[in-house]
Amino acid sequence: MIEFKNVSKEYPPNLVKESKVALQNITFSVKPGEFVTLCGRSGAGKTTILKMISCEEKPSSGVVMFDETNTLDVKKSDAYLIRQKIGFIFQDYKLLAYKTVYENVAYALEAFDFNDKLVRDEVMQVLELVGLENKVNCLPRELSGGEKQRVSIARALIHRPEIILADEPTGNLDPYHTREIVKILLKINESGSTVILSTHSRETVNSLEKRVITLENGRIIRDEEKGVFSL
Amino acid sequence: MINFLRKTFKNGWDNFWRQGFLTFATSLVIFIAVILGTALFFFQGGVAYLSQQLEDKIDISVTFKANVERNTILEIKDSLLTLNQVKKVDYISSEDAYDAFVTVHEGDQYMEALSLLGTNPFLPSLRIQTKEASQYKEVSEYLAKDEYKELISEVNDYKRGVMIEKLTDLTRSVQVLGLFLTISLSLIAVIITFNTLRLSIYSQKEEIEIMRLVGAKNSFIRGPFLVQGGLCGFFASIISFMLLTIVLFALNGLMTTLFMGFDCLAFFKANIVDVIFLELLIGLGLGLLSSYFAVRKYLRD
Repeated sequence: MIEFKNVSKEYPPNLVKESKVALQNITFSVKPGEFVTLCGRSGAGKTTILKMISCEEKPSSGVVMFDETNTLDVKKSDAYLIRQKIGFIFQDYKLLAYKTVYENVAYALEAFDFNDKLVRDEVMQVLELVGLENKVNCLPRELSGGEKQRVSIARALIHRPEIILADEPTGNLDPYHTREIVKILLKINESGSTVILSTHSRETVNSLEKRVITLENGRIIRDEEKGVFSL
Repeated sequence: MINFLRKTFKNGWDNFWRQGFLTFATSLVIFIAVILGTALFFFQGGVAYLSQQLEDKIDISVTFKANVERNTILEIKDSLLTLNQVKKVDYISSEDAYDAFVTVHEGDQYMEALSLLGTNPFLPSLRIQTKEASQYKEVSEYLAKDEYKELISEVNDYKRGVMIEKLTDLTRSVQVLGLFLTISLSLIAVIITFNTLRLSIYSQKEEIEIMRLVGAKNSFIRGPFLVQGGLCGFFASIISFMLLTIVLFALNGLMTTLFMGFDCLAFFKANIVDVIFLELLIGLGLGLLSSYFAVRKYLRD
């Protein structure tokens, strides 16, 4: 489903920053339905990997394949076709500030041009799944961190994506909400979606007992089935 | 397609009302641009009016001797009208001249002096207007022919034409200056509006990024911003038109005095369709184009 072949990424220097090597010759693949944890310190290259999968970044060398499509061949204007197969969950939630919980979740479906009734039914269903059916008309500023993250998860799930990319989704949450989010991610994975979770939380990694790819300075230093946090 | 347009309009409409401060700031800048554009339209109208006034007031006056027959003067008038340079010739009899004097000076000391004379001292004359101020000299030369010398008492000759020419040049300069001002101020208005909208959309850069990440097509992202920009422009135009109407009805007397007799209200009524079209064109045009170019930047990245 996803394949990285000898991928390197170097960000060129600019006025305020020197050039930076984000990834160095990494190779791995993810099968459909897998749950993979990308583990590493800040700057290890976890987010860069997720950005390459979603066509936000292109590799400096090597190949990234998504469903047998080389992402290098995807034009910027067509990148939405790849992104429509992906559900994103971010550490900072990235909710649309002027839209209600309902509208934030519905937006992802509206982008697919579905009719209103279908959108309403699907949104209510997924909001029930994440326990936010009572917050439908709230704006993001009226929600707690955990609730915002659940909206973000609901939005990621609404269009039934093939793959969920979760970039440090528990980074801003307390242990209770962290466990809640991890449970939801596991449930999503059990329903058949591939999940790639980026985190530097020891507790989260160890509680999952899933495949762990450990990164350090842009290199893969370990790739283990049922791995543990080992940095 | 209809579903797409409906959602696009709904999203744009929601953003317009929810982002109160941004909407206000954007609409205010477009409103200023619309007002500026309208003011320049009125300015052009005023300049054209003043030029016309000046052209109508300047003429060359030929006074005939008292013994010249009316028919002879009318023949000269006809011969003048055959000249390419001549736009208009008016015959003023000595009686007409007397009446005009009485109308202007009724009850003043000049009338007393006139009554002392006991006769009509005014001579018949022709008032000639040429197509161009520079042509007064040629007309003056035409009247200096031998056949007319015995008939004409006096010609306000081309020296007056030189002054007229200078005035006409001045009017033309004002028109050119007006056009230059119109173009440069319009450009400034466009740049300011574009930058304000760009800043407004810059503040929504992250939202555009989120929209892209959830898989929205560029057209689906761009649409609501265009609607929002268009609505800002539309409301700015409506408010500008209402304000203009109120000001013109309330202050027309003062403005007519201030603008040397140029009746702004009459101009407004005569050009109301043009004014509405101009204001909507500026408002909607600025709103839509600025939004389009500002969003395009983030959709390209």
